[in-house]
Amino acid sequence: MTSLHRALAAVALLLAVSAAFVGSSRRTTSGGVDVASLAAQIEHEDDHVTAVELAQWIKDRKPGLRVLDIRADSEFEAFHIPSAERVPLTDIAKMSPRGDETLVLYSEGGAHAAQGWVLLRSLGFTKVYFLRGGLLDWMDDIMSPTLPELSGSAAADSARTAHATLSRYFGGVPRVGEAVSLPAPTSAAQAVARTRRRGC
Amino acid sequence: MTAPFSEFGMLGPRGVLVAGFVIGVAFGACLERAGLGSARKLMGQFNLKDLAVFKVMFSAIVTAMLGLFWLSKLGVLDISRVYLPETFLIPQLVGGAIFGIGFALAGLCPGTSCVAAATGRGDGLAAMIGMLAGVLAMGAALPTFQRFFTSTARGGFTIPSALGVSEGVVVLGIVAIAVAGFAIAPRIERHAARARE
Repeated sequence: MTSLHRALAAVALLLAVSAAFVGSSRRTTSGGVDVASLAAQIEHEDDHVTAVELAQWIKDRKPGLRVLDIRADSEFEAFHIPSAERVPLTDIAKMSPRGDETLVLYSEGGAHAAQGWVLLRSLGFTKVYFLRGGLLDWMDDIMSPTLPELSGSAAADSARTAHATLSRYFGGVPRVGEAVSLPAPTSAAQAVARTRRRGC
Repeated sequence: MTAPFSEFGMLGPRGVLVAGFVIGVAFGACLERAGLGSARKLMGQFNLKDLAVFKVMFSAIVTAMLGLFWLSKLGVLDISRVYLPETFLIPQLVGGAIFGIGFALAGLCPGTSCVAAATGRGDGLAAMIGMLAGVLAMGAALPTFQRFFTSTARGGFTIPSALGVSEGVVVLGIVAIAVAGFAIAPRIERHAARARE
């Protein structure tokens, strides 16, 4: 060993001992939130699932799927999405990621679940979604969906049948009526009403 | 400027290839300079007569580890954007065993086989061709072994999370092992040389 080797070893040890005192390599200690990648995910709408998508996942028994209800206990007792488990938002901090799990959060409207989504992503969970529109959308789109009249187009009718089957699987009562797609808002009031329905 | 440059769009796809080429050539040159292009030198690691592989590899590990840790701490590097390979416990143990058998049989590992081939050694060329053939065969067999490959998944599994200690403590532990190894390496080499006489 030359003196250069000794000097390099001493520098390495010094840096390593300081590292042990510093602890984490992250600048902030409370989980490294990668803001840019989260923003991109939200922009691409990869952060949420719709009620129909979630219903399909539950029906298909998607491997590793866990549906988490973050509402109050009493609300959970009154009604919850089948297979859901109740997890208070405050308990989310205690969860740790498991490689094979896909988590779907839902709340009544969607705001709390979306906030929970950010918390879980900052804890290092990668496969996390929230139910867009929350339980309100589940009620509208699964429990009492309004299906369009038979149109004669094969694709549209098979989608309609699939939606009806999915709804009945969960004990829903599909109704046939006006087109399921909401009319384009013609006035500001309608736009606001539609936003309200989405809940926050 | 925040590293990794490729992740933040400071290097285009072509820039990444150029950087990869330059780093690859530097890696090969360092291996050759350390004498690791020779299978004899590598076999010295297995019979403990020449611990050059240990010294080179641990120098690189310690340098990279301290560099990543402190650059991240200083905010020059976003470590969450550095790819962390996922752990698949059993498949990787099996892969490691196959790798080790090949390493001991050929006296070369993938990087050093390329270096040996580049310096005109026949055994290096043979090992490199064998390695590429193995990669191709494995790729072709991928669908057959798909279930095995993805079994016992542990996600992004790291030593700090497994031991429940901070990254800094793991850094200190590994640096301490390396420095202690460097210090006693000459004695081990002398002992092994005498025992074989």
